[in-house]
Amino acid sequence: MEINSRKENGVTIVKIVGRLDAASAPDFSKQFTDLISQGEMTFVLDFSDLVYISSAGLRSILIVAQELRKKSGKLLIASLKDIVREVFEISGFIQLFEIFDTADQAIGQN
Amino acid sequence: MDIKTKISIINQIPEIEKVCDSVSAFGEENGLSTKIIFAFHLALDEILTNIISYGYRDKDEHVIDINLSLQAGALALEILDDSVPFDPSEAPVPDINQPLEERKIGGLGIYLVKNLMDEVEYKSKDGINRLTLKKKF
Repeated sequence: MEINSRKENGVTIVKIVGRLDAASAPDFSKQFTDLISQGEMTFVLDFSDLVYISSAGLRSILIVAQELRKKSGKLLIASLKDIVREVFEISGFIQLFEIFDTADQAIGQN
Repeated sequence: MDIKTKISIINQIPEIEKVCDSVSAFGEENGLSTKIIFAFHLALDEILTNIISYGYRDKDEHVIDINLSLQAGALALEILDDSVPFDPSEAPVPDINQPLEERKIGGLGIYLVKNLMDEVEYKSKDGINRLTLKKKF
């Protein structure tokens, strides 16, 4: 997994390339912990290049989202591939998050 | 006739990737969709992680056998292991309707597997667990 983050209009866009699973979840969590400790509060998680997600990946997203909620921050999610969307639907994550077709739409909504 | 393949691994986490690679190769050879391969990768990842992480009372090496078979209109997978018996149908079902603040962290792995597969069957006999998963396409 590769994580790229950039900032646009006050929003931090975090793009995940590859797999979000038990092996990569610790890196994902660390990246968010670092960004949040730097004061970032509004995030768009860009999943356009996310090819795989397991329950360990879902757990790491949930932990970040709960942390941000406590701090009155925000986590939006963009560009779910069909297979990832199905996992989000089964797990109920689809109702937990604001989900957008593209990262640009998510940035515009903020 | 069904097309079959057998993969044997030992109880180490990095072995899971080997199984997933074999499933990908099997899928490509037989023209299976990305969706089917994804579902089986996820199922293997969740179930083998559980078996290897929590299923053994000793620190010895154990063999886990995985049988794949392409049947008429479905892909079937069988996992055979000698870990502690665990019937996925008895796993607690997570409450997926809780709001974000109250949403519990665990319990999603087996739940995803049960929902992504069309059939999940568990049997335990003579110390061997046999879990069969089937998905239609």
